[in-house]
Amino acid sequence: MQLSDPNVNLYIILPEIIVALTGAIVMVYDSFFPRDRRVSGAMSIIGLVLAGIALFAMWSSSSGLPVTAWGGMVTHDSLRLSFTAVFLIVSAFTILVSAIWVEREDVPAGEYHALLLFATFGMMLMASGNDLVVIFLGLETLSIATYVMAGLRKSDLRSNESAMKYFILGSLASAFLLYGIALVYGATGTMNITEIAAKVADPNFPALLLVGGAMLIVGFGFKVAVAPFHVWAPDVYEGAPSPITGFMAAGPKAAAFASFLRVFVIGFPLVAGAEAAGYLTRSWVTVLAVMAIFSMTIGNVAAIMQNNIKRMLAYSSIAHAGYALVGFVGAGVAVTIAARDVAVAAVAFYMLTYAVANLGAFAIVTLLGQKDDRRTEFEDFNGIGFRSPLLAFTLSLFMLSLLGLPLTAGFIGKVLVFRPALEAGETLLTIMVVAAVVNTAISAYYYLRIIVVMFFKERTTEWVSPKVPVSISAVILISVIGIFYLGIFGNSVIEKFATPAAPEVEANLR
Amino acid sequence: MDLITENLLTLLILLPVVGAAGLVAHQLFWKSDEHLKWVTFVITIVLFLLTLLLLGGGGTSAGGFQFVQKFAWIEAINANYHVGVDGLSLWLVVLTNFIMPIAVLSTWNAVEKRPLAFYVFLLLLQSAMVGVFVSLDLLVFYLFFEASLVPMFFLIGIWGGANRIYAAVKFFIFTALGSLLMLVAIISLYYLHYQATGTGSFDFVTILNSLQMGTLVFAPETGLLLFLAFALAFSIKVPLFPFHTWLPDAHTEAPTAGSVILAAVLLKMGTYGIMRFNFPLFPDASRELAPIFIVLAIIGIIYGALVAMVQPDVKRLVAYSSVAHMGFVVLGMFSFTEWGMQGALYQMLNHGISTGALFLLVGFIYERRHTREISEFGGLANVMPIYATIFIITAMSSVGLPFLNGFVGEFLIMVGMWKSTILAITASANWNYIATMLAGTGVIFAAVYLLWMIQRVFFGKVANEKNRGLKDLSYREIGLMVPLLFLMVFMGVYPSPFLERSRDSVVAIKERVVRQAGGTVDAEQAVR
Repeated sequence: MQLSDPNVNLYIILPEIIVALTGAIVMVYDSFFPRDRRVSGAMSIIGLVLAGIALFAMWSSSSGLPVTAWGGMVTHDSLRLSFTAVFLIVSAFTILVSAIWVEREDVPAGEYHALLLFATFGMMLMASGNDLVVIFLGLETLSIATYVMAGLRKSDLRSNESAMKYFILGSLASAFLLYGIALVYGATGTMNITEIAAKVADPNFPALLLVGGAMLIVGFGFKVAVAPFHVWAPDVYEGAPSPITGFMAAGPKAAAFASFLRVFVIGFPLVAGAEAAGYLTRSWVTVLAVMAIFSMTIGNVAAIMQNNIKRMLAYSSIAHAGYALVGFVGAGVAVTIAARDVAVAAVAFYMLTYAVANLGAFAIVTLLGQKDDRRTEFEDFNGIGFRSPLLAFTLSLFMLSLLGLPLTAGFIGKVLVFRPALEAGETLLTIMVVAAVVNTAISAYYYLRIIVVMFFKERTTEWVSPKVPVSISAVILISVIGIFYLGIFGNSVIEKFATPAAPEVEANLR
Repeated sequence: MDLITENLLTLLILLPVVGAAGLVAHQLFWKSDEHLKWVTFVITIVLFLLTLLLLGGGGTSAGGFQFVQKFAWIEAINANYHVGVDGLSLWLVVLTNFIMPIAVLSTWNAVEKRPLAFYVFLLLLQSAMVGVFVSLDLLVFYLFFEASLVPMFFLIGIWGGANRIYAAVKFFIFTALGSLLMLVAIISLYYLHYQATGTGSFDFVTILNSLQMGTLVFAPETGLLLFLAFALAFSIKVPLFPFHTWLPDAHTEAPTAGSVILAAVLLKMGTYGIMRFNFPLFPDASRELAPIFIVLAIIGIIYGALVAMVQPDVKRLVAYSSVAHMGFVVLGMFSFTEWGMQGALYQMLNHGISTGALFLLVGFIYERRHTREISEFGGLANVMPIYATIFIITAMSSVGLPFLNGFVGEFLIMVGMWKSTILAITASANWNYIATMLAGTGVIFAAVYLLWMIQRVFFGKVANEKNRGLKDLSYREIGLMVPLLFLMVFMGVYPSPFLERSRDSVVAIKERVVRQAGGTVDAEQAVR
């Protein structure tokens, strides 16, 4: 057997290494000083910041890094970089949001922070993996850590139910994904996505690839929670502790989108002159467009009927996965590499805007929810608008950003993901975008409902304005700045996300 | 001074926001609500004075834009911050900033709950409204168009009447739905421009130039769809029948200042948008669909008037009269004659002044009696003679009595419709006469419902004992009505300064719609 040069390059996975190491250190530290909650949180944040610095250094085009390393298993492109940035931000926010919860509920802080870091590591692998096996490894690392986190509130039945449901359905999704990977391997004889893309160009690729692709859609569909694979999400999101819910809606969803994008947009592209490959792309584009329409509609309509804020946000996250799919489909039909990269960057940017608004909202929901998330019904928020004005106005701002109102990040995100889908000028895609905007109008109802209950209703019971701890105020402040920055001066971020870090591998697009 | 004139429009957009921040700061330091209304009043007066500088901006000879400012906003998608005024938008900006101080003055004793938030939202609303009228980049226009929703939503929702939540949410969702479809059309325009010329653009002027040069040509059905997407957003805002159902609710529930601004300015965004964007961008579709809009406008005129007639609530009556009046505006625009379109623009201003004034007057009596039911009143002229006089003059202006402003607008619109050829199906069958006559009945109905209401409210004996002790208008209330009354008379007897300034821009739009009928692009037109 011939051994090829594995092309070891530690620098290219430096952020991953930093995060994993920090996780290990936090875990070890905790076993020696188990009561010291703040320290493990601070250590985790420092680790994430260091990883962020490393990532930023790698981002500049002069970093001299190769496009791929580790035998083609790890890649270094704008998709990986931008999504990794999103993950790091999400994780750092989650730690800040959960500081108060860790304190309140007596959570084993070291375990929790270590798990969160390992989950982050998994997410980063999912974005940087250029090989189906690496992606699967990342996914499992992430999933197992998240299963545990969902059930961290051991004494609460809802939390247990949430963890159990998530575990069973998540495993099912992983099985589908694995089966899909096996079939794709069977069809193409390789796990490497770049090579798969090249194989797809062969007009005689076996039909097995279509079956494999379908399995992959099921698997990834579960992970990003798009209809019709979304049924687990509301229960899991409602039962999990609030900070974890915020994390799950922003982080793992984005990570799954990163791999999903890589496998489909880059792995199964449109190929010049090959009818069959075109057929493959057309198939998944059609399927995903239909899924996007369903996801947005089901998510939004169901969200209207919720009376629990966490459940409402869960359905809204299903809808947002649908909006992101709109950009995804736009990337799928892009005819030039540049256009494709712009569309991929749009999805990454969308996930960033969603994450910022969503985590900000969850910070406030966590704070107001009190111990055991008792106060998460809409009526619990009645009339608090002018009693806790800062919290209420910022929560309103986050809702308006989720709604996609101009001047907020959500608006730019929506414009960016709708754009590529309209560029193709195809009927189905145009219908999808029209469905997306109609859905946006529908979603106004429930996002505004929070504002309505906070400001327009009168409070009948007493309300003690909670003391806002430093960690939560930091999250809120950064989120508010982020929402306005991305919404008004977002240009620099968009361009950063769209610039390729290194020259692309040429996939011969139509 | 140059610094001010060069950045005038940006100043007009930003200053209210700065003012709002100032109000918050004021509250943080002084912890007192007392000065808030004064500070807001001063800010709005300063803004109005600044707006007057726009009038000194030289001639609008070429129908082009003045006070233009343009710089890159999101380079990645080629969106620019691009503002400017021409004859079409000039008066609407002036109207906006003219109404604001009056609206603030009307809130003097009316806002007891959360004054800080009230004035902050009022100022933010002003910023967004000016932004709508001056932006020349479609994405920026959309941005302001949507942004104006939020302050209004809060104004209705927090300070509104009993049914305020329903009204606020309905207002928001109706408008958002329409404008989101416009967003799709805006992005599609971007790509159509990209496919035609190689660079995508949200810029109205750029797209218009490409259209006029013939480098960008829409397929007929594409043009039709895009036209409809824009028109839906604006028709809801106007509101054109059958999209008007949000209006009576929003008007009735809104606080007085909110109703005034809603009637005077927010509704104009719809008619302004149709004239600014729909006509020049999609002239063929505009002509093709004009009959439909004319029919809807006429239905609106008659239906609005008939429904207004049976309203037991004065404010609701005025709200439905808005539907009728805005129907007139739409009718005039779609006549595609200079008379009709100039009349439409003039009527926009008239409606802003007269209906705004009516809402103020309704607000005065509501503050005194906390009811607006017509049956509660009667014989008020005996108790409040000044109030009755002002009310009747305003109502007459709304009806369109000669020598008052409403007459000029409605007359121009009807002459324009009469001379219009847009409804000529064959050479011999022109429906324009019928359309004009039907619209004319609207004027009669307007006289009926307003006069009947006046009769029931003001004349006869004082039937209800509660009305006997009502105080007549205070100096503040008279003071804020005087500018409005002055304009009603002035615009009624001497309309030319207003019409002169808008003529070139309006004619240019009209020419663009009409001239394309022959299918030729005039070279001179294209250069401009």
